[in-house]
Amino acid sequence: MLKHIWIVFKKELKDILRDRKTLFSSIVIPVLIIPVLMLIVGGSTQKMTQEMYEDITVALTKNSDTESARNFLNNLAAMDENIIVADPVDDPWQAINEKKVKLVIELEDGFEEKLKNYEPVKLKLIYDNSLTRSGGAVGTFEAIIDRLNTALAVERLNDLGISPDILSFVRVERQNIARTKDSNQFLMMMLPLFIAILVAVGGIPAATDLVAGEKERMTLEPLLTTRPSRMSILVGKYLTINVFSFASVISTLTGMVIAYAVNPATLSLGRGNIGGFSAEPAALILSLFITLLMGMSFSGIQLAISTYARSFKECQTYLSLLVFAVMIPAYSTMFTMPNDIQPYMFVIPVMNTISAFKLILGGITNYTGLAMATVSSVVYVIISLYLAAWMFRKEQFMFRS
Amino acid sequence: MIELKNLSKKFGNITAVDSLSFTVEKGEIFGLIGENGAGKTTTLRMLATMLAPTSGTAVLSGHDIVKEPEKVRGKVGILFGGESGLYDRLTVAENIRYFGELNDMSIDEIDRRTKMLADIFDMNDFLNKRAGKLSKGMRQKAAFARAIIHDPDILLLDEPTSGLDVSAIREVQNFILEQKKQGKTVLFSSHTMSEIEKLCDRIAIIHKGKLVALGTIDEIRQSNENLSLEELFVRLVGDKHDA
Repeated sequence: MLKHIWIVFKKELKDILRDRKTLFSSIVIPVLIIPVLMLIVGGSTQKMTQEMYEDITVALTKNSDTESARNFLNNLAAMDENIIVADPVDDPWQAINEKKVKLVIELEDGFEEKLKNYEPVKLKLIYDNSLTRSGGAVGTFEAIIDRLNTALAVERLNDLGISPDILSFVRVERQNIARTKDSNQFLMMMLPLFIAILVAVGGIPAATDLVAGEKERMTLEPLLTTRPSRMSILVGKYLTINVFSFASVISTLTGMVIAYAVNPATLSLGRGNIGGFSAEPAALILSLFITLLMGMSFSGIQLAISTYARSFKECQTYLSLLVFAVMIPAYSTMFTMPNDIQPYMFVIPVMNTISAFKLILGGITNYTGLAMATVSSVVYVIISLYLAAWMFRKEQFMFRS
Repeated sequence: MIELKNLSKKFGNITAVDSLSFTVEKGEIFGLIGENGAGKTTTLRMLATMLAPTSGTAVLSGHDIVKEPEKVRGKVGILFGGESGLYDRLTVAENIRYFGELNDMSIDEIDRRTKMLADIFDMNDFLNKRAGKLSKGMRQKAAFARAIIHDPDILLLDEPTSGLDVSAIREVQNFILEQKKQGKTVLFSSHTMSEIEKLCDRIAIIHKGKLVALGTIDEIRQSNENLSLEELFVRLVGDKHDA
């Protein structure tokens, strides 16, 4: 039986490797598209972050343009290098939308006098929340104003001979004990999701070709009349689908590595370099094994669907629905952080693989969870393979017309 | 030798093949005749062990199709329909080699047989070309070579000339006659009466899965007022069709 499986596997691999369409969609596209996508997404997010925190152009309205107001703004600019003072504007909306400024300020009359007397002053901050560069800059500007308020309060208290310490009776001292850097969070959200979806869908082109495609090309019947048992033929095809499923993951990861090499910030959405992972080797191996098992489960399901389908097109239709079945559990756990993973997630298909990977990326060792994910994955492999074998033996599916 | 013993096949409530019993002797060319849907392909599929009989069985070269399907498959060469069923992305040689390997032949044996068959079918010019690039006639030759690479005792051919042009049909017919000369047993289905008359030692006419006539063409004609095969077929099948 092993000899026959090997013969079928070798032939299927050779046959599919000559199919440019399958090769392109499973291997070449991820290597080319992923870096481009990552660079575009990462680059645009990085740019967006820069617009929110850097080069905050501020202008006065013409109505409040006085020498003292200009001095006030210049003082703010001196406090923070990201503040850039622009010429006063007539129409705030036009100035913001024509990208002349990000924020417009209107100061009440006599504000300078009030400030000198330590009286509250009204500063009207005009922005357009529909524009990231304007709405996003509000927080940064307000933080500078907070610093100014604190500085004024300290100055006043000193004048009155009171210790400024009374401004903060409770002092917060932050200690971040996360085992992974903040900049890894995007990777923790996206990498397990990417891997799970790719493992699940990577084998689809091969699965479609290997049974439904053979039915359509009328090559399946002669194959079934050769000496090997149906199980040998099935396992040979099953292994081929697995190879393509993992090849697509490897090519995607290669694409991500290329994106990282071009611009390391793409994998963290501009929040610094990724790194600082501290997974235990055994846990990492177990997670990879769980991913392998997930790929095997989906290969079995794809083979069963391909066996059921009458034609290539019918198979593609069914398998496109399978993609949605993967996306639901995958996206529902997208924002789940490693510490928030619930025990049930380790036994739900797809979720279990994603959870295992999140643990690894979060530097958390939870062997109970990994064991649950492993056992449940093994059960799913057995079920899917049994289903595929059962359908492959059934005449009503094999010769459905 | 092929021996059918009350071979039957049901698909749900439909009886596709109904208790077929006949024997095809070694070295005989035997024609299975019937209308579309008469049960010819189902019968051949059962003999090829692709479908399991609902009841009854058949014995091919001493092996029971129900009990020893893998041994049966090693003894038969199969070609279904005018479509060749070749893998387009593999070369002709690779197609042949694949089936040789699946039938447990050694590489040396496959190479030797491939060379021999390439000479017989005049395939040397396109042996290393991808099957998808070949003409229909070339593909048919390649399919025949692939079907007999393991030197089977029995050939099961389901409408092998369907959709072929005149010269390709002639080649197929010559191939069938050549197999007979080599002592092979050939069971084939066909719609073409002239082809049946030209090739078959004996025939079986089936209608709605049932055997309605069995014997040499002359025997069947003599028992039916010496009608031509075509008239005979229409009478045997048409009468029951009308009834």
